Amino acid sequence: MMKKVIATLMTAAMAMSLVACGGGGSAEAPAQDAAPAQEAAADDAAPADDAAPADDAAADASAAGGDLNGDGKIIVGYISKNTVDVFHAQINGAAEEKLNALKDEGVIDDWTGILDGNTDAAKQCDLAQDCINYNCDYVIILPAESTASDPAVTSLSEAGIGVIVVNSKTDSTDSLALTYCGSDDVFAGELMGQYVQEQVPDGGVYVHCQGIIGNSAQQQRGEGIMNTVGADSNWTLAADVPCDWDPSKAVNAVDDYLAQYGDDLKAVICDNDDMSSAAQTECNAKGREDIVCIGVDGNQGPLQMVKDGALGATVLQDGAGQVLAGIDAVVKSVNGETVEKEYSIPFVLVTADNVDEYLK
Amino acid sequence: MANSNHKSKNQDALRMFMGKYGIGVILFFMLIIISIMKPRFIYPSNVLNILTQISVNCLIAYGMCLAITTGGIDLSVGSQLALVSCLLGQFIVNMNMNVFLACILAALAAAFLGFVNGFLIAKFDMFPFVVTLATQLVIRSMAQIISDGKGLSMAMPEFKAIYSGTLFGIPLPIIYMIIISIVMYIVLHWTKFGRYVFAVGGNVHAAIASGVSVFWTKTMCYTISGLLAGLAGIIFSSKTGSAQSNIGVGYETDAVAACVLGGTSFAGGIATAPGVLLGAIIIGCIYNGMNFLNIGSYYQYMTKGIIIIFAVLLDMVINKKGN
Repeated sequence: MMKKVIATLMTAAMAMSLVACGGGGSAEAPAQDAAPAQEAAADDAAPADDAAPADDAAADASAAGGDLNGDGKIIVGYISKNTVDVFHAQINGAAEEKLNALKDEGVIDDWTGILDGNTDAAKQCDLAQDCINYNCDYVIILPAESTASDPAVTSLSEAGIGVIVVNSKTDSTDSLALTYCGSDDVFAGELMGQYVQEQVPDGGVYVHCQGIIGNSAQQQRGEGIMNTVGADSNWTLAADVPCDWDPSKAVNAVDDYLAQYGDDLKAVICDNDDMSSAAQTECNAKGREDIVCIGVDGNQGPLQMVKDGALGATVLQDGAGQVLAGIDAVVKSVNGETVEKEYSIPFVLVTADNVDEYLK
Repeated sequence: MANSNHKSKNQDALRMFMGKYGIGVILFFMLIIISIMKPRFIYPSNVLNILTQISVNCLIAYGMCLAITTGGIDLSVGSQLALVSCLLGQFIVNMNMNVFLACILAALAAAFLGFVNGFLIAKFDMFPFVVTLATQLVIRSMAQIISDGKGLSMAMPEFKAIYSGTLFGIPLPIIYMIIISIVMYIVLHWTKFGRYVFAVGGNVHAAIASGVSVFWTKTMCYTISGLLAGLAGIIFSSKTGSAQSNIGVGYETDAVAACVLGGTSFAGGIATAPGVLLGAIIIGCIYNGMNFLNIGSYYQYMTKGIIIIFAVLLDMVINKKGN
């Protein structure tokens, strides 16, 4: 009996090692590439120090400017907000491409890969510790929360790491981060409100479909909406509906309030455009093409709907632009150039007139 | 199990030992493989980092282990984290309460809700899955009502110190985890209550026949689970320095995973405290190690899932031996 048990254990152990290797399969390639790349970089770094005046300026600056922890390598960490949202998948994709390119060019020695924050501030704090233990010199972070993700920024900063905060600020971003690259969510809310006011000058009843309660994007976009239609006496708020960023819940909200308000319902304002496009589809299916639905993000689905004329407008948040600005800031810092405290990437109102610029 | 003669007692002991030992082997191999690929993984600073990170999950998992051992489950723990966080925010920030007192009150509130779970389950013989699925929603809603959906900053040093403080160079969360581990070991393996827990989970009719109060045993298990989730919530809130109602989503999954990896049997009646600790460490090593190995998050979930399936298979094989 003992033998059988031990045999089982051995099988499990072997399976485990297979998993460890097999799971690495896809990511193995970059990991293996990393080793020679690091060696090469380390080789480069040594002579660069000795022969600084003779060598080209860039190599010298990279040794002096980018290697913040002095271990001879420039390593960049990347803490994503999550890896499942369409919007964040686009951002992560753009970052991955750019960081891999920088590694190939030798501007940076390595990066951590996309670390999954799982939209969980505590997870991001853990990942920040992982990055410190990984000896990162720079960490790009897309915070899940403004307050709760802040310990990630503070601990990275205390460890002497250059923190690049992208997409939304944490509480101490202004004082501790190397730079912030993002857009103003209150402004996005105001853009939506103004668009609704322009489209339906007489006003009416509107529904606000919210993201997950407590997310800073949800709060700030809501604030922008309150600043515009919320402060307009022509407009009546039917309800702030907690829809958790979920399109199907936005459709339910449309059905509920159509039943309640009928023709008086004139607009559905959503905290993201996955919800607004689903809401518009539902309105159109019910023969209410006149209802104005609008949301934020500029995901490809809603953009296509704008092009097809099924959706009036959407507010595009240039997420890729934000993260690329963040990576540019890393490059600037590595090259010893000045990095601004903040790079603002504007939200854009996308309508049928300009949709072709953004639809890929 | 309650009618245990000498032989079956020995088998129980062997089964428990193998449950622990099997998971130890998996952990050992994991550590070796990851350390060979990335030596930095095994540096003391990273080991402390992993142990600090798992403290929240480990505390929740001990409570979950009690629930599972009595043949149930506690799905409400993630919401408990949120509720405790929001209560702390109200107590400390809005009412200027002493931090220590606020923590005690918040933990007691969580324990009370755990008691409600246990009462509903034990008194009315309702399915634990259904009861805690429902209370999960109720508790999450309470957190949102208390906080009005807004986050509060709790960055004051005396509160942050709960997570970031150290004792003899060891981060405090690890100290809490060690203390709770010792207490849980004693409770589960040395006390009458612990034997009752195994008896109720192993064979409820035999337990009743031998005069064990199923009601109190189950109710206490869920109360303790609530209390531990409350303590975890305090650590969690201190870690993020904020009071928020949207935290802790999905945390029950990791806790169940740690229990199952640690040899806690869903059939009930079988668990060990050290096993749960090892399970939590493995979960922590998976997260941390996979990041060190540059393995994409999509593969991390798959790996975690496969490891859990293997652990359960192992558990079943070992159980079969016992029968």
